[in-house]
Amino acid sequence: MLKNTFVKKTGFAFALAAMVFSVLPAGDLFAGDKVKVDQKITVYKKVSGVSGSLNSIGSDTMNNLMTLWGEGFAKYYPNVRLQVEGKGSSTAPPALIAGTSQFGPMSRKMKDKEIDEFEKAFGYKPTAMGTALDALAVYVHKDNPIESLSLQQVDAIFSKTRAGGLNDDIATWGDLGVKGVWTGRRISLYGRNSASGTYGYFKKHALFKGDYKDTVKEQPGSASVVQGVTKDNAGIGYSGIGYITSGVRAVPLSKKADGSAYSVDMANVMTGQYPLARFLYLYVNKEPDQPLQPLVREFLKFIFSQEGQHVVVKDGYLPLPYEVVQKELNKLEAGTY
Amino acid sequence: MTQFWKSGNPFVWLTGAALAASVLMIVGLVLLILFKGLSQFWPSTLAELHLQDGSKVMGEIWDREEIPDAEPGADNASQYRLRLKVANRDLYSLDFRWIDESDIQQRLSPPPAIAIERQEWGNFYGYFVGLKKDGETVAADLVDGWPTIEASLDEMRKLRERIKEIEKSDIGDINHDLERLRLGLRKITLASDTTTAETRQLIADKRAQMADLQAEYLDKEKALADFYGSSRKIVLSMVSVDGHTIDIPVYDIVRIWKPNELSVFGKCGIYLDKLWEFVTGEPRESNTEGGIFPAIFGTVMLVIIMSIAVVPLGVLAAVYLREYARQGVWVRAIRIAVNNLAGVPSIVYGVFGLGFFIYGLGGTLDQLFFSEALPTPTFGTGGIFWASLTLALLTVPVVIVATEEGLAAVPREIREGSLALSATKFETLWRVVLPSAMPGILTGLILAVARAAGEVAPLMITGVVKLAPALPLDGTFPFLHLERKFMHLGFHIYDVGFQSPNVEAAIPMVYSTTLLLLVIVVFLNLFAIYVRNRLREKLAYSAF
Repeated sequence: MLKNTFVKKTGFAFALAAMVFSVLPAGDLFAGDKVKVDQKITVYKKVSGVSGSLNSIGSDTMNNLMTLWGEGFAKYYPNVRLQVEGKGSSTAPPALIAGTSQFGPMSRKMKDKEIDEFEKAFGYKPTAMGTALDALAVYVHKDNPIESLSLQQVDAIFSKTRAGGLNDDIATWGDLGVKGVWTGRRISLYGRNSASGTYGYFKKHALFKGDYKDTVKEQPGSASVVQGVTKDNAGIGYSGIGYITSGVRAVPLSKKADGSAYSVDMANVMTGQYPLARFLYLYVNKEPDQPLQPLVREFLKFIFSQEGQHVVVKDGYLPLPYEVVQKELNKLEAGTY
Repeated sequence: MTQFWKSGNPFVWLTGAALAASVLMIVGLVLLILFKGLSQFWPSTLAELHLQDGSKVMGEIWDREEIPDAEPGADNASQYRLRLKVANRDLYSLDFRWIDESDIQQRLSPPPAIAIERQEWGNFYGYFVGLKKDGETVAADLVDGWPTIEASLDEMRKLRERIKEIEKSDIGDINHDLERLRLGLRKITLASDTTTAETRQLIADKRAQMADLQAEYLDKEKALADFYGSSRKIVLSMVSVDGHTIDIPVYDIVRIWKPNELSVFGKCGIYLDKLWEFVTGEPRESNTEGGIFPAIFGTVMLVIIMSIAVVPLGVLAAVYLREYARQGVWVRAIRIAVNNLAGVPSIVYGVFGLGFFIYGLGGTLDQLFFSEALPTPTFGTGGIFWASLTLALLTVPVVIVATEEGLAAVPREIREGSLALSATKFETLWRVVLPSAMPGILTGLILAVARAAGEVAPLMITGVVKLAPALPLDGTFPFLHLERKFMHLGFHIYDVGFQSPNVEAAIPMVYSTTLLLLVIVVFLNLFAIYVRNRLREKLAYSAF
């Protein structure tokens, strides 16, 4: 998904980024090497006359990110107020349509139906800003010896329809070839509730649009998926890479059953080899050919600045490459889309 | 044997055991919360571990567990591993690390080890290198330099307060005035004909005022920029145990201590300091660090507004039901309905509050009075007022039932005595019956408060937020901002526990917040009970 849309739209940017990152040592990024923000991204410049309050309603995955951006933005504009509500990506479009929020953070793209409803209300489409990169990780308990999984296996673990193509259900760790005491252990599944964009994304890309098993324990937040897997040594769950703790391990994934598996690190996400990478979007209501409200525009500029992307790193997600930042910033100009 | 059953002893044992089990569970839970909630502030020692592969790690030991399915050691003993809080999140990404005990070569607790709590990135554990002012080293030795470090920490603390004052009050006021002027301007252009000389004059006036304020703001901003410039001048050079050097601006340091050298007394000082910050401070790092004062404030204010709304409503309804209505099928039906209302899931009330209060009433209010701010909603979005009203609806059955009980308990003779002295029915009710029923009403309020303080589900859709930048009560006119969103302890627990990215480090925070919520509920209840007892005493006197 990421590779498709991403490479199509910013082919050159991506190839470049891939080149830059392939030079770096391909160590496990989340165990020590720090992700760096592209130095070419400009530092945020304060403008005068910005004040007021902002509302953000949407994704809970991006809850912290929005809060941290709000804190960072407040350093420049001490009395700008940003209120963040995060109950799931599906709550973003209705709030944008009702005008109760200026920002709709979503961890997935808007569905056609949601875009239609927005268009019906305003006569134009909402503007999607890709603000950060996230890789969805499949977590297992830290003692679990499993080396890698293919998406087809992930599908057979989580789905009852097995649209990925495997014939047999995978119910125990032994079915995945894990030896010793693990052979007989039943796999215990942790997932998200259906309002979450993570739920939708995982269903579409890891389950090949199939259906989840009824035994998936649906959790109210990404952190509780990780907590569940930490406490349950036969557990497996999915969440954004930002939620990793020392109690769990992110399993390397491969696209095809016989393909090579890639661990979740910046290099693999950038080249599109890690199969479950996605953009974290911020939707705004921007009338074509009209400038954005100054407050909203400045907030977005802050997100796409050196400081804003540092916040992304701080929250455990992956920052955008310079070229993508430029492309997103262009969307802010009046008249462009 | 039959005798034994008939004696009733088994029943006594059964009831006693049930009570004991309940008490045990409650005490156990409270003790767990107390222990986990209070222990997180204790500054434990920093251990430096030298591993077999030659690397070094430093951190607080948080946990020790047996490694499952591991090969037993030399003497057939189980293998263990430690969970170490290594902090230094900016260097290692994760706050915690598991280390097998078999990998440890040597375990030290070096006295010069330093722990620093920072505004950002969490704690830093490491060693002192030097204190630099404007790039020049002013202290290079830890022992001699310590007073200098503390002095500069104090200096920076004062600077922080000044910056905060400028940001919050000075610039805050300017921004508030600007916003008011902007809205006033919009109101004029929306409402009246802009071609008349009068309105033009008005608009020009407002524009001029705005320009003045803008100039004032620029002045303040310049001062602020100077302050921020000097905030970066003093830096503390530190080195982590694995050799990363890092410069921490003293301005960013919350507190600094030497955990391995501190006496118990000194540790108590740090402990109390941390506890104080937790209760009175603002949250940092998207709520996983710092204090939770805004959440405490929001919770208490929510409960107070709810009480103000629920008591008149509930009491009046109960008075009509018990005193005026003709007792019959209808009243019975209403009573059953009220009792059933108490059993409706709280989220249903939330949905009702969203539909009726926020979109319905709030939307209309915005259209009528705040049209200049649209499309940004003022009352047409969740806020503390709507949340309080929703909770008031949720708890009104409790108040009605308790008040009715209180009214029913007033002896018939007292009413008849009053009526016999030629008081009207209203006078009897107002002067005699209601005061006697006061303890019952307060019992209802106590139950309502206890229920409301712990409720989270309906709040989530009526205005609670993860981080509210301003309190609903502050120094800017009109002081009480009922339309503002707010933070709440219950939601804070949910959010930090289930949704914070750094959940491992945030879990102790969940326990502390739970503890605080318990304390607040107990405190609110104790207060109401105290008032009730006072009233009872007073009534006892007046009866004679």
